[in-house]
Amino acid sequence: MKYLPRLGAVTLLLVLTLPAQTLLAQTLDQAEALWKARRFKEANEVFLALVAKEPKNPDYKVRLGRMAMEHTEPDYAQELFAQALEIKKDHAGALVGLALLASENFEARAGDLAKKALEIDPKLLEAQELLARIALEDNDNPKATEQAKKALAIDPNSVQGKAVLATIDLLADKKDTSWDPHTARGYETIGHFFVMNRRYEEGIQYLRKAIELDPQLYSARSKLGINLMRLGQNEEAYQQLELCFKNEFQDAATRNSLKLMDTYKNFVTFSTPTTILKLDKKEAELLRPYFQSEMDRAMATYEKKYKLKLEKPVQVEVYPNHEDFAVRTLGLPGLGALGVTFGYSVAMDSPSGRKPGTFHWASTLWHEMSHVYTLTATGHRVPRWFTEGLAVHEETAISPDWGDRLNPDVIGAIKNKKLLPIAELDRGFVHPTAPAQVIVSYFQAGRICDYIDEKWSWDTLLAMLHDFGAGEDTVSVVRKELKIEPAEFDQRFFAFIEADTKNAVDHFDEWKKGLKSLVEKSTAKDWDAVIKEGTAIRDMYPDYVEEHSVYEALAAAYLAKGDKPAAIAELSRYEKIGGRDPESLKLLSKTLEEAGRTAEAADALNRLNFIYPMDAAAHRSLGGLWLIQGNVKGAIREFAAVLARNPQDPAQAHFDLARAYRADKQDEQAKEELLAALETAPGFRPAQKLLLELSTTADRK
Amino acid sequence: MKTLAMLLLAALSAPAATGAVTYYLTIAGLGGEPDYAQRFKMWAEDIDGSLKKAGGDSSVTTLNAPQLEQIRTRFADLAKQAKPADSLVVILIGHGTYDGHDYKFNIPGADLTATELAALLDRVPAQRQLVVNMTSSSGGSIEQLRRPNRIVIAATKTGSEKNATNFARYFAEALREPAADTDKNESISALEAFRYAQTKTTEFFDTQKRLATEHSVIEDTGKGTGERTVTTENGQGKLAASFTVVRLGANAAAARDPNKRPLLDKKEQLEQAIEKLKFEKAAMPAQEYKRQLTQLLLELARTQEALDKP
Repeated sequence: MKYLPRLGAVTLLLVLTLPAQTLLAQTLDQAEALWKARRFKEANEVFLALVAKEPKNPDYKVRLGRMAMEHTEPDYAQELFAQALEIKKDHAGALVGLALLASENFEARAGDLAKKALEIDPKLLEAQELLARIALEDNDNPKATEQAKKALAIDPNSVQGKAVLATIDLLADKKDTSWDPHTARGYETIGHFFVMNRRYEEGIQYLRKAIELDPQLYSARSKLGINLMRLGQNEEAYQQLELCFKNEFQDAATRNSLKLMDTYKNFVTFSTPTTILKLDKKEAELLRPYFQSEMDRAMATYEKKYKLKLEKPVQVEVYPNHEDFAVRTLGLPGLGALGVTFGYSVAMDSPSGRKPGTFHWASTLWHEMSHVYTLTATGHRVPRWFTEGLAVHEETAISPDWGDRLNPDVIGAIKNKKLLPIAELDRGFVHPTAPAQVIVSYFQAGRICDYIDEKWSWDTLLAMLHDFGAGEDTVSVVRKELKIEPAEFDQRFFAFIEADTKNAVDHFDEWKKGLKSLVEKSTAKDWDAVIKEGTAIRDMYPDYVEEHSVYEALAAAYLAKGDKPAAIAELSRYEKIGGRDPESLKLLSKTLEEAGRTAEAADALNRLNFIYPMDAAAHRSLGGLWLIQGNVKGAIREFAAVLARNPQDPAQAHFDLARAYRADKQDEQAKEELLAALETAPGFRPAQKLLLELSTTADRK
Repeated sequence: MKTLAMLLLAALSAPAATGAVTYYLTIAGLGGEPDYAQRFKMWAEDIDGSLKKAGGDSSVTTLNAPQLEQIRTRFADLAKQAKPADSLVVILIGHGTYDGHDYKFNIPGADLTATELAALLDRVPAQRQLVVNMTSSSGGSIEQLRRPNRIVIAATKTGSEKNATNFARYFAEALREPAADTDKNESISALEAFRYAQTKTTEFFDTQKRLATEHSVIEDTGKGTGERTVTTENGQGKLAASFTVVRLGANAAAARDPNKRPLLDKKEQLEQAIEKLKFEKAAMPAQEYKRQLTQLLLELARTQEALDKP
């Protein structure tokens, strides 16, 4: 695929090589005309000639910056706006350019920059329009309305002002709106907000309207392509994105999405009447049974809980390359999330895409699948905090150790009273003031749902869900279903969460200091000190199960001193609280097995299947344990998983599977596996013996 | 791979040279930092233990951070003791460097260069030799060490892979791990140990989400630069497949009982027939292949059962 030559890359060269007459002949009007005609390269040359002629004129730089934005070169644009501000620090146009760039990344500073621009030039329409958009992104309709009307006061034809007001009406399911912008860019904005509210189908309709009015509005066409891809309509998605690409609209999202779709040939699809599972070929055989089983289990659970039967199959796509997943969801690499849901379509990281122990794939799958139900139940009208809150709630509802633990960011937020009021919680997801605020908001939303479930009931949560589906906002839903004012709810919830986390919050600094010392003692193998200090600090912050956890340090110390029961006790605590390190879980399983506690040993390894199912040795151990315990179906799955990992020892892997089939009285399959084992290693005696045994049994029949 | 399987069979079927001894010399180099010193010593001890447990007619020597003179002395002894029918295994663990011309194994005092190591090896009469150089930059030693009838395994593809390696950890594991015995003949060949350690090293980097800084290679033709994989095309691995590093079981016991000779002959004929059938697999109907394979495997199993009877 060929890439567009970047304008920014040729800047200096052109300035140095343009002849003097050319420089003199250029005018701003010419540059603008060439830009309008999408003759970017020539327009760039003219702009650069103007800049060379008047290097202290910030206006040329700002206009060139705006063209660079349209030409999908945000870094170049940013540099030009910064240069303009160096020349004139209160250049409103440069400030609004920076604000627009920041708003594309949902940066909180976008609003501040727009406000600053307005202070300099109160009639600067774009800045006012941007403030209206930002308010609407925060789902703050009254503020968005106020800001949009201010924009219309500056210019009664303000496209973005009308688009924001029209969006408010349309998102509220009003059939008509008096603010219909009747312009391509207006519809693009409406489409953007429908997508932001996860109403992808409707968003796509507005993006289509935008490009009908202006086929050259490639920003809208690219959004259309990306959202079609999100919904799995890949053929048209590819066509739209390719059209953008060929017409010099080559932003990162367009390029990355096209590249990603080129890799789809590496995926295989498994369909059932209710599910579609897409897995990378290289790990499909291994992961399929585990994913299919959890998809089916989640759907059966949610169908009852949400009293909702889905009308079409749910699609789950699993990406071994995290950056592919990020592109699939945002069009851009670098996404911190683990999974994303688009209506009936879920995209998520594969367990192989993350460092072992850092990712609980089953918890992520259940989280995302719950979004499918909450989005469907509300026609995608659920606020972000509530759908995320329910999804987080579901993680621990299915198994207490699955969900994320209380982490230091959350402890810091509770301690410093940084939790948001329920009515403003969406802001923590959409416009976080710090990166940690998103994580804190997930935690808070999840605990709010836990709290409502505990103090009111599950039916109350369901009633809230349906109210949101009917278009009501958080304030009215809280009043209606919880029978209290939002402020009263906040007061009660904050008291609840502070009481619940008091131990960890109060002792956090002391624990942190103690952990540092503990790590030093562990490194020095001073086991007596590890036991003394570890025991003293462990329960100050029991939720900490990450790297250098107290449980693991204590277990290592006890093992070094030969006290296996105490080591097992520590590792069991670690496991039950939600410890995920594969080596520690395998160590727990091994010590339990050595202690004759084979059922618990198997449980520990089965828990690992939900975290990191890529470890062939763990599958083999679990298969062996289950075979002894008579769980032959489980043993078959585990030994088949070993084979799917292209094992180091294929003869042994086929033989193990043969043993499991034999135990399950599936003699034909057992024989097939034995033949495979012996084909690789004809002298493999245990396999020979089993083959003779099977042959004798068959002869008797 | 088919060619390789035939060669392997031939190696198994070949009569063992009576009285042949395998000489093992494992050297752990200079650690530099306590962590590395401890690690190198631990891996060397692990290998030493596996070699000693393996039994058979062998002589096992392990040197921890020796000076050059100690190494020269040990090689001088080997040159006196070993006979042409014997085998020699030299294993290097530690740090290595490569300056673009010669490789150096880091030891206290003057380092051991690949050129000198090759000369020391050449003086040992044992014709079949295996050198496992598991240090950083070990790929830089292949050119000097390669020779007909000598297998060279290096932890890195070139001398420019300078990071401390993990290959040794998994090579040590291979010598005591039944899973490394992929053909289940109760012994670990040089090729099986190489493949095991290579796979495990690759998995290590994959799971840690780290860029691999070492790429182990094997050279046993005496003229190559080292290959990552053994294929018919590159002709590597033939010698390594037939070079037993450790025996895990008592697979040679039956050969010493004259009463079992006819059964052993039958077993060998069956094994050859199975290999021949595997060669013909692609050219015959699947069902027919399966029928014939089942028949041969059952017969082989019955023969082995008879051989195992006291």
